[in-house]
Amino acid sequence: MKRVSLFVVLVVVLSTLLTACGGGTTSSDKIRIALILPSTIDDMAWSQSMYEGILAIQEELGMDKVDFEYSESLGNPVDAGAAIREYADKGFNIIIAHGSQYQSVLDEVAPDYPEVSFAYGTGYQSHDNIFAYDPQAQEGAYLHGMMAGLMTQSNIVGIVGPVEAGDAIKYNYGFQQGVEAVNPDVDVRIAYTGSFGDIPKAAELAKAHMDAGADFLTGTAQQVVGAITAVKERDGVYWLSNDMDQSPLAPDAVLSAQTYDWVKVLKQIIEYRENGTMGGEHLSLSLANGEIKMVYNPNVEGNVPQDVKDAVEEAKQQIIKGELEVALPD
Amino acid sequence: MIDQLLQTHIIIGVLATGVRLSTPFLLAALGEMFTQRSGVFNLGVEGIMLMGAFSGFWVTLVTGTPMLGILAAIIVGALMGLLMAFVSVTMQAKQGISGIGLYMLGWGLAGFLFRITVGYVTSVEGFRPIAIPILSDIPILGTVLFNHNWMVYFSLLLVPISWVVLFKTTWGLKVRAVGVTPEAADTLGVSVRGIRYACVVIGSIMAGLAGAFLTLGHTNMYGDNLTAGRGFIAVALVYFGRWNPWGILAGSLFFSIVDALQLWVQVLGLDIPYEFAVMAPYVLTVVALAAVSGRIWEPAALGKPFDREA
Repeated sequence: MKRVSLFVVLVVVLSTLLTACGGGTTSSDKIRIALILPSTIDDMAWSQSMYEGILAIQEELGMDKVDFEYSESLGNPVDAGAAIREYADKGFNIIIAHGSQYQSVLDEVAPDYPEVSFAYGTGYQSHDNIFAYDPQAQEGAYLHGMMAGLMTQSNIVGIVGPVEAGDAIKYNYGFQQGVEAVNPDVDVRIAYTGSFGDIPKAAELAKAHMDAGADFLTGTAQQVVGAITAVKERDGVYWLSNDMDQSPLAPDAVLSAQTYDWVKVLKQIIEYRENGTMGGEHLSLSLANGEIKMVYNPNVEGNVPQDVKDAVEEAKQQIIKGELEVALPD
Repeated sequence: MIDQLLQTHIIIGVLATGVRLSTPFLLAALGEMFTQRSGVFNLGVEGIMLMGAFSGFWVTLVTGTPMLGILAAIIVGALMGLLMAFVSVTMQAKQGISGIGLYMLGWGLAGFLFRITVGYVTSVEGFRPIAIPILSDIPILGTVLFNHNWMVYFSLLLVPISWVVLFKTTWGLKVRAVGVTPEAADTLGVSVRGIRYACVVIGSIMAGLAGAFLTLGHTNMYGDNLTAGRGFIAVALVYFGRWNPWGILAGSLFFSIVDALQLWVQVLGLDIPYEFAVMAPYVLTVVALAAVSGRIWEPAALGKPFDREA
């Protein structure tokens, strides 16, 4: 029996090691960044966008200046808490917990490590040594809503949502306003899977939307890769992507993307630290400060009529100038 | 609002979606039924499904032939099953714990192997629906039942096949005997270990197939934790179905059709809070289980390792 329990322990330890990986060396004058992710570095969405942002920072400031480690698949905030403490104990200066679900965990851990700066998002409540970053997802969503509203043939557009929280609320609310502004006849149908990572469910939801007549689909969270793959398999349906440019998944179906410039956000955090501010700042990403970007997929950009492009561009400039404010739910 | 739901094409959509959603549950739960009928409780179904999903996807990506992916999922499922059988039958470990170990191993290993072999999100050409001639022309029923890919038909065919194997063959009798009174079976010369090894491996192969269905017959892609808890639901469906193929079919279809219905209710924008919609399949399954409850029979030796000397 002893041998068996040992075997089971070994299996558990081994699999834990396999899910959490990383690498790097220690040095005192370095910036040491640790990243906690709810999904994986190759999820083609939320997590990957931040991972690539930190790699870009490392590239820019020099590999010898920035130490970087990460832990993946820590969607459960309790497990994430253990990893966060471990990174703090190992002497990391900046620990980024990439998700709104980590807010309360950071509130608990951060006071024990006053020398460390923590960051999380989407969120706005910051503390002494906690930064909150906050993509104004509703801004790009509004522009996506305009595209869908102006281009839909069926007057039905569908949203494949995760759970009604954080980023998804902002995005969906902005999207609805964009559609409403250009075409009040369009029916915007919002549906949720109840999960962030249920890829088959997201695929099934996309299929149901399309069977019900939707010809424009959009949505947030890492599970949408399933929906995008489902959209790719039908003709005449477009996907509007969020978090990062997801067009490599479906080169003919992803029309446009709202992307976040995490490099700028990270630089702000590093700069604050250099000036002695450990946290307590609310870092907003917006079209106006250039930290949200809109990109058309060059493969299908030609399918967007010029007057649609012009209208979207005009609204974008109005948002940047502050003439058009995309409302958020109360 | 209800009349919106009662349009023919929507009813067809809901039922067809439900049948498609039930396939992974049906495959995994029928397999787990054999495992449990022989007295072994394999809680690692989810991990085996993940390994089956990954191996099926990867082999298809490399070779371009989804049938080779299926073969890979069968082999990987069998290997995982042998591991589980070795730990739980030969070494007589606590089955709940070793199942959890197997789940974590499968999850971690599938994610790790995906990282080193593929490492980015991509899709493959999976199985296409095959409309069955004549039958698929039947109004409503044709679309609901006879316009799916082969794995959906296969999973449905396995229901009567499993029933015959379990209740009408000598081997099935041995399986049932081993799961209830292994000592008696042993004195009659039935190899308890042999039967349990076979059943655990069969169950694991079917879990591997259930995983491969998700990557090759449903989403055509792989992602971390793709199964998202379906393996555990399959284990629950074995209880729901009272270790009987028809009961498992009823449970799988019921859960999946309610799930499909809630997706459609949301898609049609009916005025129901989405939280209620999302939890409907779980709540109704519990309600159904409570409503039909009586004395619950289960294989008497379930979860108990067999030791001749004990």
